[in-house]
Amino acid sequence: MRTSRNFWPALLLPSPALLFVVAFIAFPLGLELWFSVSSAQVGELGSFVGLANFSYLVQQATFHDALVNTFFYTVVSIGVKAALGMALAFALARPFRGRRIVYALIFLPFIFPTVTGTMAWYYLFSNVHGAINYTLMAWGLSRDGVDWLGSFGPLPMASLITVNIWHGVGLFVILLLAGLRSIPTDVLDQALVDGARSRQRFVHVILPQLRPAFALAAVLSIMGTFGDFAIIHILTNGGPANHTQTVQHMAFLVALRDGDLGVSAAIAFSLMPVYLIAVAYMLRTVVRQ
Amino acid sequence: MIVRRLGWGFFLGAMVVFAVLPLYWMLVASLKAGKQQLVSGNPWWPDNFTLEHYWGLLGSASFGRLVLNTAIVTAATIVISLVASTLAAFALAYYRLPRARGIAMSLFASYLLPPGVLFLPIALMLTRLRLTNSLLALIVTYPSLVIPFGTWVLWMFFNRLPSDVLDLARAEGASPMQVLRYVVLPLSVPALAAVGLFAVAVVFNDYLYTFTLVSDPNSMTLMADVGSNLVDIDAPGPTFAEIMLGVAPVALLCAFFADTYARGFGAGVVK
Repeated sequence: MRTSRNFWPALLLPSPALLFVVAFIAFPLGLELWFSVSSAQVGELGSFVGLANFSYLVQQATFHDALVNTFFYTVVSIGVKAALGMALAFALARPFRGRRIVYALIFLPFIFPTVTGTMAWYYLFSNVHGAINYTLMAWGLSRDGVDWLGSFGPLPMASLITVNIWHGVGLFVILLLAGLRSIPTDVLDQALVDGARSRQRFVHVILPQLRPAFALAAVLSIMGTFGDFAIIHILTNGGPANHTQTVQHMAFLVALRDGDLGVSAAIAFSLMPVYLIAVAYMLRTVVRQ
Repeated sequence: MIVRRLGWGFFLGAMVVFAVLPLYWMLVASLKAGKQQLVSGNPWWPDNFTLEHYWGLLGSASFGRLVLNTAIVTAATIVISLVASTLAAFALAYYRLPRARGIAMSLFASYLLPPGVLFLPIALMLTRLRLTNSLLALIVTYPSLVIPFGTWVLWMFFNRLPSDVLDLARAEGASPMQVLRYVVLPLSVPALAAVGLFAVAVVFNDYLYTFTLVSDPNSMTLMADVGSNLVDIDAPGPTFAEIMLGVAPVALLCAFFADTYARGFGAGVVK
């Protein structure tokens, strides 16, 4: 497409989008930046306090826990989603009977409202009358059932990660499948044939071609998992005793329960370094082509 | 070879079961009679089968209200997002605006901003404007989650359209709007469908904003209703019937467009 001399449409056309970006991204971002360096409470803008919110935060043991939990939740979820997504994309890359239905069902949890899906998982995990414990006891695998969401130890976090994978693996599948489609069929077919040489071809021919798709899926998924609120809020609410508290959920609690906007903003901004790294990685991998 | 194929088949089968399990459980729960439905009985089969929860919904004004609200919010988000994203992406691509690439990338980066950074100021702003507790609160917020990413996807897609087709249209004397209407849009159906589906996913998957912005039952979507504390912990049958009737068919329909979604992103973003 080429440059035009009449530049009025060029300025007018983006204005609706610009309006949304300014009103719902730029302005809120500025306001939140102010909160993070102020003593703002719900209902008052507060005064400038420098980095007091951040230094307060650094001393909080609950915040350290939240950082560790967020890191763990994200890394494990993304790792499993990427591996499963890759395997599923390869399994779905070639035609077979019923492929359309299988593909749709695997993608379904991604488009199914998170709240409702998570609500169903809540009843599956429930230790009182949950479907999973019912099944375990019916098969004689457990005598009294397992406390999936409320016990101390790794189980509640593992349950959250399971639901996160359930919801998010579909995004990896569709983007990696789109990446596979962009590879010429004969190259792909040869790589899918069994044998040691094809494994090398997989590593040296297929994987590099999948990099942009993989980067996009990974960055979208990382930010989605970091920012996850629904799954944690519904299943454990950060408990038991902060064992599954994450940064995003803590920012929410501190703002809405305590009304402390300053500290809440500081919590929210504490993940900015990761965000900037993710964006930089994205810029390098997807946009460079 | 056969063993290998069986292995893949088994893997796919297991993943389908994993994907469908909670949804199947929800269906069973919605077909069970009585108050104590969860405490006793097989969770995987409706022993005391009934359609009473569904019949109850069909005559219920509040269910009709929820479906209508959900439809209005979803449709408005799709339309507003598609129009705003298309116009912005077209301007960036067609007029070769200076720094178009930088602008498109900033849009994408702004989409990735953690929601924890934006939701509080947005909630406070909408409270100040007296927009909370109305459908409008959601209708203005959701497009802001779709437009940055949507514009970026469409910009990538428009940039890859064959330039000779566009040059030809221009040589025939077509105005920019005619080029958009008769040349660019018909060629961009997969990308537009992908952005539309993305808008549906944003509306369906949101919890944070419905949770903070809407507490009045009259302006709730189906998702907000389920998310609010309306689920009777011992008898979720009516709630799950609501989901099965109001949301599940749309979600399933969208899921069958997974290929379209992938192609829309695939053509523009991936290669």
